[in-house]
Amino acid sequence: MLLLSRHLDQAPNYRADVQHFLFGREFRAEDLPFSEKLIRAHVKNGFISLRPGIMPLNENIFDLLGIRKKWLCARCGNRDQEAFAFCSCARCGKKCVYCRHCLNMGIVRSCTQLVTWQGPEPGFDRAFLDGRPLCKWDGVLSNEQQAAATAMKRTLAARESFLMWAVTGSGKTEIMYPAIEGQLRQGHHVALATPRTDVVRELLPRLRAAFPDVPISGLYGGSEEENLRAPLVISTAHQLIRYAGRFDCVFIDEVDAFPFHFDPMLEYAVHKAAKPGTPFAYLSATPPSELKNRFLSGSLKGVKLARRYHGHPLPIPRFRWIGSWQKLVQRGKLPSVLHEWLKNKMEAQQQVFVFVPSVSTAAALTELLQRNGFSRSAGVHSEDPLRHQKVADFRSGKLRLLVTTTILERGVTIANVQVGVVGADDPIFDEAALVQISGRVGRSAAYPNGDVVFFHNGKTLSMVRAVRHMVQMNQEGDR
Amino acid sequence: MERCLFCGEMRGDPLSFHNLFSPEYAPGFCLSCREQLVPIDPRHCCRLCGRDLSRLDRNRVTEGTCSDCVKWANSGRNGLYVNNHALYHYNPFLKEMINQFKFRGDVRLADGFAAELTRAYRRIVHNCVREQSGILKRKPSFLLVPVPLSSERLLERGFNQADVLARQIGAPIVQALVRVRDEAKQSKKNRAERMRLRATPFQLNEKAAVSLSGHKILLIDDIYTTGATMRLAAEALAPARPDSIRSLTLIHG
Ligand SMILES: [Zn+2]
Ligand SMILES: [Zn+2]
Ligand SMILES: [Zn+2]
Ligand SMILES: [Zn+2]
Repeated sequence: MLLLSRHLDQAPNYRADVQHFLFGREFRAEDLPFSEKLIRAHVKNGFISLRPGIMPLNENIFDLLGIRKKWLCARCGNRDQEAFAFCSCARCGKKCVYCRHCLNMGIVRSCTQLVTWQGPEPGFDRAFLDGRPLCKWDGVLSNEQQAAATAMKRTLAARESFLMWAVTGSGKTEIMYPAIEGQLRQGHHVALATPRTDVVRELLPRLRAAFPDVPISGLYGGSEEENLRAPLVISTAHQLIRYAGRFDCVFIDEVDAFPFHFDPMLEYAVHKAAKPGTPFAYLSATPPSELKNRFLSGSLKGVKLARRYHGHPLPIPRFRWIGSWQKLVQRGKLPSVLHEWLKNKMEAQQQVFVFVPSVSTAAALTELLQRNGFSRSAGVHSEDPLRHQKVADFRSGKLRLLVTTTILERGVTIANVQVGVVGADDPIFDEAALVQISGRVGRSAAYPNGDVVFFHNGKTLSMVRAVRHMVQMNQEGDR
Repeated sequence: MERCLFCGEMRGDPLSFHNLFSPEYAPGFCLSCREQLVPIDPRHCCRLCGRDLSRLDRNRVTEGTCSDCVKWANSGRNGLYVNNHALYHYNPFLKEMINQFKFRGDVRLADGFAAELTRAYRRIVHNCVREQSGILKRKPSFLLVPVPLSSERLLERGFNQADVLARQIGAPIVQALVRVRDEAKQSKKNRAERMRLRATPFQLNEKAAVSLSGHKILLIDDIYTTGATMRLAAEALAPARPDSIRSLTLIHG
């Protein structure tokens, strides 16, 4: 007893500004706006944790035996050994390894210390929690949507993960609102992570309108909108790298678009940003097989929404053989099958997305289309500096025909748009991509139907599976 | 096939005898990155500062020398300093690369310049041989002296970019200079101000100085801007009695 009270008397103190700055975030020691002395005192008293930025990676017996040395970047999760390099380091006087993957956030070397808060969680201003509803969205969920929303909210509140498997155009953003509200009401830090900048840009204004009194941070490459006090963060997975142990609940929208199996670093970032034991809500029209299997076996809770919000079935793609179209395009000839189809759409005053497998074909085909009288057409790809402008022009109807790589496969919703996939047999168009792309069509209640054509030079399994997937969803939706 | 050191794409070089049979395909940049670099043709550059003369107004060129260099020659401040050689003309692409190399700390990028730096070094040596008079032509030996950073800057950055570049060449390196203070931010000063020679920030490293006597010196740095840094470095080296001083930089900017 005496021991305890003496311990309490001397209870070491921490500074609130340090606490607020570091809570849930991770910094290189040299980037902190506090003196070394102050940081050291906090470390000594256990409020701040330090760990090395580069750690040896022991994945298997060869690594343990030290036959070859491998590395892991503790900040970004990089474990691609080609993305590490050596430098003779003037800071520590040794040969340091550094991570080439996350250089734009300040270099992490072997001698770099990563700093985060491990003391008590700071109290946040929750003035917006005044008992009135947080969600001001005035739309109405259908019975089916409402049931899904309730299940999601309850499951997350019970600290369990949840899969919402919902067809494209099912209105899944709005279905998340009750669960987000529930989490915020519990005083939780909530992250909504998506794979792509375009999706963050599309979601941010919608969530700000739905939750007008809740401070929301929007993080994507190029944005500087971090509000440290915001309980809701909408972010690309990449930008979550700057957090550590912050979030009590994480929603992952378009989870299949995370190239998780290609890029374990994004998965690392998402998990690092969450507190241990945090429930995840996964949203997808085409869940990756790992999640699908967990859901079907019952180990992951969830709901399947097979019907679009307007109640109409998904338009089913048609296959059209187009031959070796790449050779024709190279020779400056527009394949006649495509030419005919596009001409019909333009005459019917419809707008068209033409998906292509690569940036170079996007450029070549756009040029060819413009030369063949499709004057109101443009091409976009991920590096295109005018991409947001071109998409805006397409939305407004100024452009009638947009040639695009897979970057626009999701997130962009345009009423009465028709879709052609040129080279649908290219390996870049897997089942999930083809389902997403087909899902661009018929989303509005005013135009629930439309044409989707896969132009191919030989059917692929992915094409067949995508169609089977959509047919099956339609059958389930009819039940 | 290797990945490009800068953009990470596959290099996609056409197979040649050289890369097909070389056991270790040297690290480097892809064709598209290389195409965005603007190399300076040594046959059409200022013979004193190494700048690309084709990019200069005609009336600023006199007998293969640019007007800036004429001013330097007239200033009487060249001393033992002979001239500069530069690999690339400064452009926004190279600026991006240098930003990643120097300010983000990606020293690995320097490996991509190794072959060009070495080739330039050989050319400088070769030119010296040609310039020698008499029958006995000896291959001159050069000592590389990286332009140093101040110890504060070195600690902050973790490396000296000039040193990293010098190590790509494979000639002996002598840390003959010490920088006692950093220049104020270059960009904040106008050109005339920068060309004026003020108190030197460099000191001779006495221990290393003994090895310089009678040798040809090649200063190494990432960029040659006005030439003031090189002249200040050369002045600081002069008491060690080298034979002559030249410089090699990645960029003329
Ligand atoms: Zn990293
Ligand atoms: Zn170090
Ligand atoms: Zn490249
Ligand atoms: Zn010159």
